[in-house]
Amino acid sequence: MDFLLPHILNGLALGLLFALIALGFTLIVGVMEVINLAHGSLFAFGAYVAMVIIAEGHGEGISALSWYYELPLWTRYLSALVIAPIVVALLGFGLEFCLRRTYGKKKEYGLLLTFGAALVIEESIRLVWGSAEQTLTVPSAISGAFIAGDMIYSIYRIYAALFAAAAIGLVWLFLEKTPYGAMVKAGAHDGEMVRALGINLSRLQLLIFGLGSALAALAGIILTPIWGLRPHVGVDVVIPAFLIVVLGGIGSFWGAVIGGLLVGMTVAMTGAFASDWSIMSMYLLLIVVLTLRARGLFGKKTALES
Amino acid sequence: MQRYKRAALIGATAVCALIAGKAQSQDKPPLVIGLTSDASGQYANSGAEERRGVEMAIAEFNAKGGVLGRDISTIHIDTETTPATGSRVAERMIARDKVAFLIGGVSSGVANAISQVAQKYGVIYLNTNSSSPSEAGENCHRVKFVWDGNGVNFSQAAVKSAMEAYGPKWMQITNDYVWGHDTSAATKKLIEGYGGNVIEDILVPQGTRDFSSVLIKVQQINPSVIAAAVGGDDLKALRAQVSDLKMGSKYAWINNQQDWADVYGLPKESLFGVFGTTWYYKLDLPGVADFVKRYQEMYPDTSMKVPGNVFFNGYWATRSLLEAVEKAGTTNSHAVIKELEQLRIPAETRMQHHDAFMNPDTHQMQQTIYLATANLDNDDPDDLFKIVSSAAPDTVMDKGSVEACKLESFEDTPVYEP
Repeated sequence: MDFLLPHILNGLALGLLFALIALGFTLIVGVMEVINLAHGSLFAFGAYVAMVIIAEGHGEGISALSWYYELPLWTRYLSALVIAPIVVALLGFGLEFCLRRTYGKKKEYGLLLTFGAALVIEESIRLVWGSAEQTLTVPSAISGAFIAGDMIYSIYRIYAALFAAAAIGLVWLFLEKTPYGAMVKAGAHDGEMVRALGINLSRLQLLIFGLGSALAALAGIILTPIWGLRPHVGVDVVIPAFLIVVLGGIGSFWGAVIGGLLVGMTVAMTGAFASDWSIMSMYLLLIVVLTLRARGLFGKKTALES
Repeated sequence: MQRYKRAALIGATAVCALIAGKAQSQDKPPLVIGLTSDASGQYANSGAEERRGVEMAIAEFNAKGGVLGRDISTIHIDTETTPATGSRVAERMIARDKVAFLIGGVSSGVANAISQVAQKYGVIYLNTNSSSPSEAGENCHRVKFVWDGNGVNFSQAAVKSAMEAYGPKWMQITNDYVWGHDTSAATKKLIEGYGGNVIEDILVPQGTRDFSSVLIKVQQINPSVIAAAVGGDDLKALRAQVSDLKMGSKYAWINNQQDWADVYGLPKESLFGVFGTTWYYKLDLPGVADFVKRYQEMYPDTSMKVPGNVFFNGYWATRSLLEAVEKAGTTNSHAVIKELEQLRIPAETRMQHHDAFMNPDTHQMQQTIYLATANLDNDDPDDLFKIVSSAAPDTVMDKGSVEACKLESFEDTPVYEP
């Protein structure tokens, strides 16, 4: 058990991070039935914006902002956690505005548009920040390692897992305890009925796309200190996010969370005992689950099935 | 007055020669070189760096009138770090674009795919930067020349001293593709040859971003030395996670080659262990400072302020090829291959510590292999490496490649004359 325990804990932490990645994706696909292939690029863009806001080695040349660069790293980091998701949400608003022409048409149009957006965002990142590896600096209090028994643990990974759990909790509270959350859930269930009840569905969709984009950015800020930051880092994200959402059941909040945890646990365990299967294992998990339950673990019938 | 007349005469002659040379080069069709380097995928950064090296060598030749009176131009198609794309790109460049030569390769899988197509047509292909031992071993070809040091060369330089310093209990972390497997197998052979044993070899798939399970396992096994053959973006993720856990100093890490494009811009603290390289921009050798200056003049806007080993290989591969064409006096592939097989470059010309030469039996460039660690002695963000040793080519030779490589005969290699 002593041998297994670190791997189980690692799997749980990894699972929470995977769930965080999938959270924004599931909101958008659940309510709008749009598979947002730009999710990974928004993830990367959020991390790059955060890098600029944290300004550790970036942007210090702007003399008018010299007071800002003198602020403690913690302050700049917390600013990044707030401002970067807002910036990315604004980009998400723009993307949703472009998507409107595809509503009511074949699903492939939305898919192609978000795919194109992903390429544009990635190339824009490359143009602005270059293609070399970058570093997203985090405050020293949440970096480094500590020793427990014979093992070294990463402080940042624990922070990231706790942050992911908190983000999941906050999104759940938003969905369950606020009127907007009720509208979102109703929109996911039956958009036409929501419109018939006098709710502005267009505004709701805009809000959802912005929120989904902001969550992608948040995941980027949390994950890239672990995975590294490069323009194409989003590619590493969009496939697991899609997989988790399908595994958990399209549009299901808890489906995405449980799906993320299952994928995290599977990847961690295979990483420990059959590491060459660690990437393949998540796809095998998906095949097994979909074979037993085609709609995923918590999926309900959606327009995607029609 | 007489002196001025003579100077004017010399000047006029030079101008006439330049104009004549230019006119001649304009008469002949340009020599088109196909750049088969990655612009996307795991080795996109390295692909861009090697292209800069190739372009600088070509610019230097064009500045003096091209080669054999022909201007040199390039076309580039992204090989996407994917062997199937590499094959397709090579086929298209030869059949449709009629390129004279193919240059470029970071991923061994891609380089192998390109070289199979090149051999079919008899087109000379320069594998600039992929360092799998199989490239100059079982996958060698008469038309292919390999310019980077390979996994065995780097392991030869590192394993013995690490064994003596840290002990015989080794663990390997291996990228699950051709370069990783070849390098790992070669390292294992050396470890066992020096009396050590590999207690665990962890294979990690390409595209792995989370190494937490592997790093937990490292701690549970607690080896004396960890030999990692992990490349590209996977290595960047591994490096970040090892650095975060402060495991870089707790264990003895032997990394294979660290390509400049993979480390440039990173905090020095994130470089860990001992690793190999074929060149460093701060080598205290004649010509290095001027080479760096030429790079900076040609690429003033690039975010990479100084050239690295990948650039160096791209530059030298191209320069040596064009010099071989000049020496052969023809672009006939067999004649140029024969020139390249006899290639020797003095250390002072090549800006390395030892003379370099092309092994005619494997077509791999034999060159100085350096071992380095992170340079924590100064704050210069570009000065990442501290060179700790340099090994002469004959002391780190990959004898396995010599045994494994069976070059096609000239009779079995089509003649190609662009």
